[in-house]
Formats: sequence, C-alpha cells, structure tokens
Amino acid sequence: MIRFSEILGGALVLIGPVCALSKPIAFANGTTVMLEYGAGTMKEAQIFYAPQYNYSVGGGHVEFDSDVTSGTERITYARLNYLLHRWNLESAQANVFVWGGAGGATGSTFSGTEFAVNAGAQADYETRRVYASLKTDLQKANAFSIRVDTLQLGIAPYEHEYNQIATWFVVQARQYTDDIHHGTEVAALLRLFKGGAWIEAGITNGGKLQAMAMFNF
Amino acid sequence: MNPYRVLLVALLMFASLVAHATTIEMHVNGLVCAFCAQGIEKKLRKFPATADVVVSLEQRLVAVALKDGQDIPDAELRKALTNAGYTVRTIERSDTPIDAIRSRLGQSKP
Repeated sequence: MIRFSEILGGALVLIGPVCALSKPIAFANGTTVMLEYGAGTMKEAQIFYAPQYNYSVGGGHVEFDSDVTSGTERITYARLNYLLHRWNLESAQANVFVWGGAGGATGSTFSGTEFAVNAGAQADYETRRVYASLKTDLQKANAFSIRVDTLQLGIAPYEHEYNQIATWFVVQARQYTDDIHHGTEVAALLRLFKGGAWIEAGITNGGKLQAMAMFNF
Repeated sequence: MNPYRVLLVALLMFASLVAHATTIEMHVNGLVCAFCAQGIEKKLRKFPATADVVVSLEQRLVAVALKDGQDIPDAELRKALTNAGYTVRTIERSDTPIDAIRSRLGQSKP
C-alpha cells in the first residue's frame, strides 16, 4: 500500500518548489469566511480579518465525527494566521503560512469543556494553470490530538482573466490521525471562483460529498 | 543644433507628457489569481485621485485612470501594491485613455 508521505513526496518532486497560497489571509483590510464540509468526518467554519496582507485574526469552529469509532469532538477556537514568506514570481505566486490558536473543546469521549490548542501550516504554489497546496492542521487537548493533512493539486482548463469565472479541476488527498478516518481519503473536486466568491465541490473515493465555500470582502 | 536647445525641447516634451498623464500602468509580479488581485483593486480605488482601475492577469498589468489634474506619487503606488502583497516591476505614465487599455486587453467595461 502506498503511504501518504510517499504520495506527498512524489507530488512535491513533480511540481518543484511548493510554496503557499492565500487562503487564511485574502488581502489587507479584507475579511475571509470559509465553510467546509469534509466528507462527513469534518465540518469547519472560519472567519478571519486581515489588518495587513501578512496576518489575519479570527476564529472558527470545527467538528470531527469519526467514521471508525463514532466518537465526536467539537472545538471552537481563536486563531492568528501569519504569512511567513511570499514569492512573487513573474508568472507565479507561492506562499508559506503558519497559524496558531486556542479554544475550548467538547466531545463524546470526555466530559465538560477542555482547553484545546491549534497549530498548522500551509504551503502553496500557483500559476494561472497549475495549483498545489499542502496543509497540516493540528487540534490538541488532553483527550485528543487530531491532525489533518491535506494535499491539493489543481489544473485549470483555461487561463482565467480578472473579470472571468475561474475553473479548476482539483484532486485532494487527505489523512486524519486519532481514528477519525482510516487510510487516505481522495476527492475529485471542481473549483469555481469569481470576484470574492469561491466554491469547490466533489466526491471522495468513499462516495461522500467534499465541499468548500469561501468569500472575501 | 545647440545641444542645450535639444535638451530643453526634450524636457518640455517630457513635462508635457507627465502633465497630461491620465493613466498609470504598472507591471506586477505574483499577479496570477483574480481572487487574490481583488485586494489590489480595492486598495487602488481608495486613492482620491483614482477614477478607474483595470487589472489584466494575462499581461500582469494594473492600470489606474486618474481624475482630471490629479496624480498618485510612484512611492504611494509602490507602497499600496507592496502592502497588498505584490511586487511592482515598472510604473509608467501615459495619456492613453483607460478604455483604450481595456480594448487592448480585450476587456469590456464593467
């Protein structure tokens, strides 16, 4: 069986230098709202405001529903996102983001509310035809430690212009720790965006819906 | 011909061009995604001298139409685009109307 780390390694070799893109921070003085439905195992809502182009503050709520143990965890957190580095190339952009935060968690395997911390990083690289993103996100409390690793590779069938709808075909590979889901979850996604609105939806190898919406204003 | 006279004429022509500049064209690195370039347009439209903004991902170009008799210093433009997260390569001024730039880029007026 191919390990997830081998898939990531192979992808990185194929696309060369992997850097990051602008998901947790859209632009200076901009607000970003993100909603994700992750194949029944993860649901997340986030809102961030960026006083400057290189950091944003906000919070979110994430719910994990294990399809292995039927356990659930719900975490509400405040978070700071920071753009560690951006490469503005002539025909490409690449970024590395990091983030950290804290909040409270409830769950079916423990009582009361536990203090939880959140940390993660994202690297992505984008031209007008190729997109790659690698993200790791950790939610940790005394009762659980859940890490979600996500790789996305995208190809645009045409080079969109500023005032056009952008279309991307994206393949996503995701792994969860802490018995949320066994194995690598792979999804084929269609991404569309125009102006400040972005939607992405598709189906996983388990036949479940994977969807995300993002709005910048 | 007297070289000082040639220089004077050249300076006058340059001054005339600058005085009548109606548009600023900037070539920008990292301009690959409409979703991200939104921030540039938002920032440039905040300048009181801005009449209109055109962005071309194909040409990696950001053009600003100026209001009559107004201007935005290069330093302010560089600062705005740097603060939006992009790298400015060149800044050029011309008297080309913004709609002519739109036509050149194959864009229609919104």
